[in-house]
Amino acid sequence: MTTNESGTGSGSLLRVENLAVRYGAAQSLFDVSIDVPVNSALAVLGSNGAGKSTLARALSGLVPSCGGKIWFDGKDVTKWSPTKIRRAGLVHLPEGRGVFPGLTVLENLRMALTTQRSGKEESLEHAFELFPVLGQRRKQLAGTLSGGEQQMLSLARALMVSPKLVIADEMSLGLAPKLVDVVFDSLGKMRDAGIAVVMIEQFASRALGFADQAIILQRGSVTWAGRADEAGEELLHAYLGGATAA
Amino acid sequence: MLSYVLAGLGLGSIYAIAAGSLVITYVASGIFNLAFAAMAYSVARFYYWLLVEEGWGIVPSALVSLFVFAPALGMFLYAVLFRHLRLRSTLVKLMATVGLSVALPPLVQLVLEQPTNTQAPGLAPRPLDVFKVFGSTINADQLATYIGLVVVLVVGVGLLRFTNVGLKVRALVDSEALTSLSGTSPGRVSLGVWAASATLAGLAGILLAPTQGLSVQSMTFLMSAAFAAVVAAKLRSLPLAVAVALVMGVTTNVLEKFIDPSSEFGAVIKPAIPFIFMLLFLLFYALRGQAGDLVAGGALDRAIATQGGDPSVVSAVTGGSNRRILNPSVLAGVVIVGIVFLMPGMLDKFWSGLLATGIAIAIALLSYTLVTGEGGMVWLSQITFAGGGAVLSAELVRNWGWEPLVAVLVAAVFIVPVGVILGLLTIRLGNLYVALVTLTFGSLITTLVFRRDPYYNFGSGQPMPRPEYSTTNDDFAYLALAVFVILAILIVNVRRSTAGLAMSAVRFSENGAKTLGISVVQTKVLVSGLATFTAAVGGGFIAMSNGSTLPDSFDPAGGLVWLAVLVTMGARSNIAALIAGVMFIMMPQVFQTYVDHDYADIPIILFGLGALGLALHPEGVVAQTGNNIMSLVRKITGRRGSDGETPVPPGTPGASGPVRSETDDPLLTPATRGEAATITAGGQA
Repeated sequence: MTTNESGTGSGSLLRVENLAVRYGAAQSLFDVSIDVPVNSALAVLGSNGAGKSTLARALSGLVPSCGGKIWFDGKDVTKWSPTKIRRAGLVHLPEGRGVFPGLTVLENLRMALTTQRSGKEESLEHAFELFPVLGQRRKQLAGTLSGGEQQMLSLARALMVSPKLVIADEMSLGLAPKLVDVVFDSLGKMRDAGIAVVMIEQFASRALGFADQAIILQRGSVTWAGRADEAGEELLHAYLGGATAA
Repeated sequence: MLSYVLAGLGLGSIYAIAAGSLVITYVASGIFNLAFAAMAYSVARFYYWLLVEEGWGIVPSALVSLFVFAPALGMFLYAVLFRHLRLRSTLVKLMATVGLSVALPPLVQLVLEQPTNTQAPGLAPRPLDVFKVFGSTINADQLATYIGLVVVLVVGVGLLRFTNVGLKVRALVDSEALTSLSGTSPGRVSLGVWAASATLAGLAGILLAPTQGLSVQSMTFLMSAAFAAVVAAKLRSLPLAVAVALVMGVTTNVLEKFIDPSSEFGAVIKPAIPFIFMLLFLLFYALRGQAGDLVAGGALDRAIATQGGDPSVVSAVTGGSNRRILNPSVLAGVVIVGIVFLMPGMLDKFWSGLLATGIAIAIALLSYTLVTGEGGMVWLSQITFAGGGAVLSAELVRNWGWEPLVAVLVAAVFIVPVGVILGLLTIRLGNLYVALVTLTFGSLITTLVFRRDPYYNFGSGQPMPRPEYSTTNDDFAYLALAVFVILAILIVNVRRSTAGLAMSAVRFSENGAKTLGISVVQTKVLVSGLATFTAAVGGGFIAMSNGSTLPDSFDPAGGLVWLAVLVTMGARSNIAALIAGVMFIMMPQVFQTYVDHDYADIPIILFGLGALGLALHPEGVVAQTGNNIMSLVRKITGRRGSDGETPVPPGTPGASGPVRSETDDPLLTPATRGEAATITAGGQA
């Protein structure tokens, strides 16, 4: 991979070099490097506490890095605020239910459109087309939706704004199998729309089936990186244990 | 009757504006703004300056004050202070706003001077027009107040409910992190919220000034009364806060119809109404288990917050229970006590008298070291217990002829049950509620006891002689220092004892402590009792030092300054208490004597600014200076700490980084940057 002056290789949308992150005195990420080309998907795997969510938070600017560089769409975004990174086209769907529980469904969607200057009504209609149940519950407080509906709302907030890259952090966590299918279908729609995806997942096999590239994080460091189809069962068992690799 | 209701609605409207503003800023920023009164005073003072001293008209004065000066003040305060506070502990948030409330009024007075006439005009032209409403009369000031509340409610609710700005504010209330991930800058939204809050504070101050006077005290009274409405609203329901505030205002005035306000009972009941409201709502919520700590932000906000920011936690980690005899903190303690011990011999009578009072206050400050530093409870009524100790010991000496020192100790024992009962009553409340209840309790006791005869006695209180063997300032300073040292050693031993460990456990996690079989009730009762005793002894010594109880010196507002000075120095350090007590008394006099009388308030401003500094350095000046000195010593001697690492607070996520050894599985070798690791699937396994 060649790297130009802006730190991006040819066709690279997101490039991270030697990223390090601390929470106060405790270091959570050590020299993490990844490369996500345009319209590709990267699966980030690892056991609990490996630093997967921290990586997602650092990429979206929620937690500051203490070392390394992050380039997004040709720009050095290492010191950018989450707001500025979001406006540049990187959407982070955080772990848990990434919705505003005190706002209605419609207000949640309106919040996602605050960076959009025109076509807001069309975007809202698009969201309700993708997830009709949200249209039925548009005046209901998001905090009172079921877990699956909240994830739909979270996904709708990303799908309706056409970003360049989406980081999906444990979107299938705690969902029924049918709803997990909905999540993966939605992420597939994003890829079809040309959106790159960084997927943090507990269902390692499904994530590897979805992604082009994969990395395995262990105790804050990348311990394996390569093509997703090269990550065999034995490797996953060695790193993640039987349950996680399911 | 209607006239009483209308007048009550006027007062209630001002309460409602204040309560509404406190609720909005609390839910949007997680900060309960104890500096609201100071902000109200500052804007009202600026308005008075434009209107009266500069001769501007009412409209331009109001426009410039409320829509230029107030927002600018709010935005400035957000930029330098409030933005650092969102994820700090309740104690740090409260102390930073206390610091602001201490520093802001004297800063304003330094520039604009104290107004000569506190009866300031409001928003209505003078002479006041009078209107007939259903046979009753209201004046233009009252009408302005009603209009003020209606405008605030209509504009406020309209903005919050129906505009994009309001949507962003409500989103920020839910989660700052998610708001930023949505492309909205939380900083800009918060800036707007604080600008609006300062405007509302200013409006409340301007509306209040004609009836209650343009003074910090009247604004503080307004704030204390508004607390009750805010507590009734469980800190977050705007409609409930406004409704309770209005009811409280009406109740206060309607009572005057039935109870003569100049009578003994009337004088007692009127100021107690906000406390009664607060007590009733708190009991209701506590019984339903709804008065716990409110958590700012959502799960994501808490996940990205680093632990820290609580003086008691930080000090526990850095100070810890170091048992070495010659550890640096013990050495520093011996040196500081030694310096204070030498001071009486070097000072003249006047200064050694001040020193003695400073040491007496340091004794009272040790109670904060216990209750807040060790117990982790944010009590704002320690000065009231000190006052109780002073008043009761003076009564024992006056009525029973007891020896003063014995009277002080026995009085302190009698005050202990009050503290224990307060501790038991507040045991199920969250930290912020505890702070508000104890502050209001202090205000109530001050009004009902300290300001009543025979205890008040035109402000001079009752005489309180010193013991016969320490009548001179020097001797009394030595006696106070001896008592301080004894109590400090007692606190250190309690800290090191099993009971002290239980206190630490409860401070870090009540639920965790319960799982270890530690009784939270027993532990908190112990802390409450010890702290109350210490405060009361300190109060007795303050009275002995002054020769009289001087009830005004035990005002709860003064207690906030005490605590601000202490936490600035360090909430868990006994030596910090000694330094804080001595500085609190001597610094203003030093400025008054050697600088200029006009600058006597500078130390108070500095104390306030010091508490503001907590937002950035929660461990306090003493611990910070100690750490700096130790770093310097290590640098000079070329030594490092045992592990060379910064201490990690317990429970910090990911505290242990990867530990590699030669025996590690070769599979765990990090992949080289930017390329796929050359590991074949299943290679090792």
